[in-house]
Amino acid sequence: MRALLLVTTLLAAPASGQISAEIPPPTQSAQGDLAVTIYNNNLALVQDRRELALPAGRSRQEFPDVSAQIRSETVTLTGQGIGIVEQNFDFDLLSPQALMEKAVGETITLVRTNPATGAETRERARVLAANGGVVLQIGERIEVLRDDGLPVRVIFDRVPENLRARPTLSVTVESDRAGRRPLTLTYLTPSMSWQADYVALFDEAANRMDVQGWITLTNNTGTSFRNASTMLVAGSVGQDQPERYPIYRRNQPPPQIRQAGTQSSARERIGDFYLYPLPERTTIANQQTKQVSFLDVRTTPTTRGYEYRNAWLHSADRPESANSVLRFSSAREHGLGDALPAGTVRVYQRDARGNPQFVGESPIPHTPMGSQIALTTGAAFDVKVQPTLVRRERITVDQWRASDRFRIIHRDGTQTSGERERLVSTEFWQARMRYRLTNARPQLVTVDLFQAGLDQSSWSDTRIVEESQPSEHLSADQVVWHVTVPANGSVDLEAVFQTPY
Amino acid sequence: MRSARATAAALAWLAAVPAAAQNVITSAGPETAAVTVYRDPDRETGRMLNLGWLGGYALISETRTVALPAGESMVRFEGVASGAFAETAIVTGFPEGIVERNRDADLLSAATLLDRSLARRVRLRRTSPATGEVREQEAVIRSGAGGAVVLQTAEGFEALRCTGLPETLVYDGVPAGLTARPTLSVRLRSSAPATARITLSYLAAGFDWQANYVGTLSPDGRRLDLFAWLTLASMDDTSFPDASTQAVAGQPHRERPEWQPPRPAELRLRCWGQGRGEELYDGEAIVVTGTRIHGPNLAALQAQAPAAMEAQQEDLGDLKLYRIPEPVTVASHSQKQVALLHREGVRVRQVYRADIDRDRIGEDPAPARRMLLTRNRSAEGLGLPLPAGRVVMFGAGAARPVMLGAGAIADHAVGEDVEVQFGDAIGVMTSLRRISTKEGRGTYELVVSNDHSRRIEFEAMLHFGDIRTRARLAPRGDARLWRVTVPANGRAVLRFGGAEN
Repeated sequence: MRALLLVTTLLAAPASGQISAEIPPPTQSAQGDLAVTIYNNNLALVQDRRELALPAGRSRQEFPDVSAQIRSETVTLTGQGIGIVEQNFDFDLLSPQALMEKAVGETITLVRTNPATGAETRERARVLAANGGVVLQIGERIEVLRDDGLPVRVIFDRVPENLRARPTLSVTVESDRAGRRPLTLTYLTPSMSWQADYVALFDEAANRMDVQGWITLTNNTGTSFRNASTMLVAGSVGQDQPERYPIYRRNQPPPQIRQAGTQSSARERIGDFYLYPLPERTTIANQQTKQVSFLDVRTTPTTRGYEYRNAWLHSADRPESANSVLRFSSAREHGLGDALPAGTVRVYQRDARGNPQFVGESPIPHTPMGSQIALTTGAAFDVKVQPTLVRRERITVDQWRASDRFRIIHRDGTQTSGERERLVSTEFWQARMRYRLTNARPQLVTVDLFQAGLDQSSWSDTRIVEESQPSEHLSADQVVWHVTVPANGSVDLEAVFQTPY
Repeated sequence: MRSARATAAALAWLAAVPAAAQNVITSAGPETAAVTVYRDPDRETGRMLNLGWLGGYALISETRTVALPAGESMVRFEGVASGAFAETAIVTGFPEGIVERNRDADLLSAATLLDRSLARRVRLRRTSPATGEVREQEAVIRSGAGGAVVLQTAEGFEALRCTGLPETLVYDGVPAGLTARPTLSVRLRSSAPATARITLSYLAAGFDWQANYVGTLSPDGRRLDLFAWLTLASMDDTSFPDASTQAVAGQPHRERPEWQPPRPAELRLRCWGQGRGEELYDGEAIVVTGTRIHGPNLAALQAQAPAAMEAQQEDLGDLKLYRIPEPVTVASHSQKQVALLHREGVRVRQVYRADIDRDRIGEDPAPARRMLLTRNRSAEGLGLPLPAGRVVMFGAGAARPVMLGAGAIADHAVGEDVEVQFGDAIGVMTSLRRISTKEGRGTYELVVSNDHSRRIEFEAMLHFGDIRTRARLAPRGDARLWRVTVPANGRAVLRFGGAEN
């Protein structure tokens, strides 16, 4: 026996008689001319231009059919000849509990129904307390409401002033004259957002890719926005940035943007934001997902690459897949020629029958035009790398010194060479790594093999004293070998590292 | 006993004090009230008011008129804020002073009614489910402890609610000392009948306020029209109509009071055998008030209608007091906004800023933050105390409002530098590379890219020790600040050596 309190409320009249906005029938909306601007961090700016009849002097205006999630403190009302006195957001809600609590000290009507005979008896009762059980005074008796579980209806004479059906926004305005006029209501609401979805069709034989960009917008505000002029804004307005906690995984996908671009897109821009207006008015229904195309680029140059990142002194039990990477540019020349709003790129390739099949996806952040992009679409089935630490041994100070030599070429062409004076450690180590790269594809591939962790500590001074092909120094931490692996073949790459400690 | 009750005034059965000789006078509510709202000292700067749980407090001063008979009386104050801290109450205006002051929070509920009726005579009412016949018999409560009740009837000893019949206890009266709600009262003596006009002041929990700034940036980005709302909110159950209302900025010290909403004792009776407690009444309806807590929280919007009423600021010791010039209603569970200040043509500067430390090495190119800088003095068009709050900025001149950013500021005195941090700039990216390390020092390369077709001002906060570089750096806290102008569609590069902090 739960939910014992049966409440019949007499809602003959709204609690506050001065409500001036009329209640529309369910199919009709009180919304006026709508302009909705949607940001892609779960936020939308709604501008709603409504015709309202205002009396001269002060009046309180309520606004139905605003977003059910309206951020009340962001409301602004503007119009000719009005001044704002105050804005109120009342959320003391009408519920059985609130009704009973506000009735303490008041008299209510009880209708008891006899469980066997069905006979009804009416009594007036005064509510003494409503703290964990409603204590009633009925004549000279004190009872607890429905203590015995028998049916009792409680009828309240009225609804207290301040209780509302739902949170209510009202603006008190001072008007210089009476009459109808347009008023502009502006507010922010969460639960509307958008992101970009990219469909990329990669033609591996031609090294080309077709890219379509779709804007996907969602409305979970609980409210539909009818016939709204809609604009999407790429960029972050602030305060809702997720913390940047990098997660370290072995062979983790490297950054998608390899180099940030500096070109300005031809799109409309305000401040730091790119604007994507929808071409015509549309209705954004509640719980609706809507997609609109914004980008369609054919045959942008794209290359397939393979990347493998090895952690410091990591040996693998079995060959590990290299990452399959698509490299392209967002530049004006030989690229997509646009700034890319954050979203997901889904990559498709045609199968033997010519049907596009999904081959992987990758998120991208907001990407300026002119950026170099490398999308990790997945792990390659046929291209693998097996790193092995062949040997790690202590070396003598002399062996360390042997690799310590440096040479300075002066402007006049003379040279000085020598050794560093001070030793950072008394203990030195040498590690030989072997990387076996295998390719089961019928074409030759090039694998970018990264060895990371060269500066475990900033004192480490790691050196490569021997390598089977020259490496490229990327940073203090990383080197890369661009290794060409023949079709259906394998390559062994060896390198010897010397480190203190 | 019986005759005493019969003569009691309509409300007097709620009397907290049994002494029959005493007059009990109930003051039902205030005639006028003044509400001064203090902020939650523990709310982070810029965090939106949580309308469901407000951590600030208010000083409430009420005036009431009480007619006193000669002799000793008990004056009960009803209609005070439900969050009142009784220990802070100050009562002035009684001609002969008061004897004692009480707060009674022993609440009347089904559980306390039963508990206080131990060893007293009650009536046991049973309803036959077959015939509907109602039978009442006398009983004495012999045990009321621990969720089970043993009754003594003419037939022997029985356990309540273990019969399978609908049964309940009917009491003759409310035990003394139980109140419907926590109540403040004073006991006093008067030598002659008198009418006293008294003031009751107390602090109450469940209020808060903040400023909501709305800036409109000129198209050249150098001038800001600044408007602010005073946003105050109450989660109290009591409304204060037409109250003189103030808000206080600054940091008055207050020990964190231990305040819990009064929670009545629950009554759960347990019987033998079934192992299932029967609940008399579960106050099931939990009122969820209409608040939204998560996500970006932003303040009111652009192009303000002229305010018909603006709060006035005055100094209050080391605090700033904002007075709403006309009486307004501080309603229960509501939020209210009135104009706080308005300044036009404030001189501002926009810069991009990034924090650079070792965690950024090798990470994705990351967007810089957008900052708005000014100084709070009259030369810049400000020069007035700025209470803490949220800031939203819009761009002027566009066909539709576009929000450029949302941020927050702390309290700012006149003369202080004001920095507002907005969101990320998606076209201004930074990346950091460590080129080499030697003996605990690294050589780093910081690259800033700009996709705007105009030059931008950029600042990097370098969090490294012992920085050496050719560029000029300014100290800023523990960090060093690098200022640079990044050319339109270009890059700026800083090479520096530094120790890792």
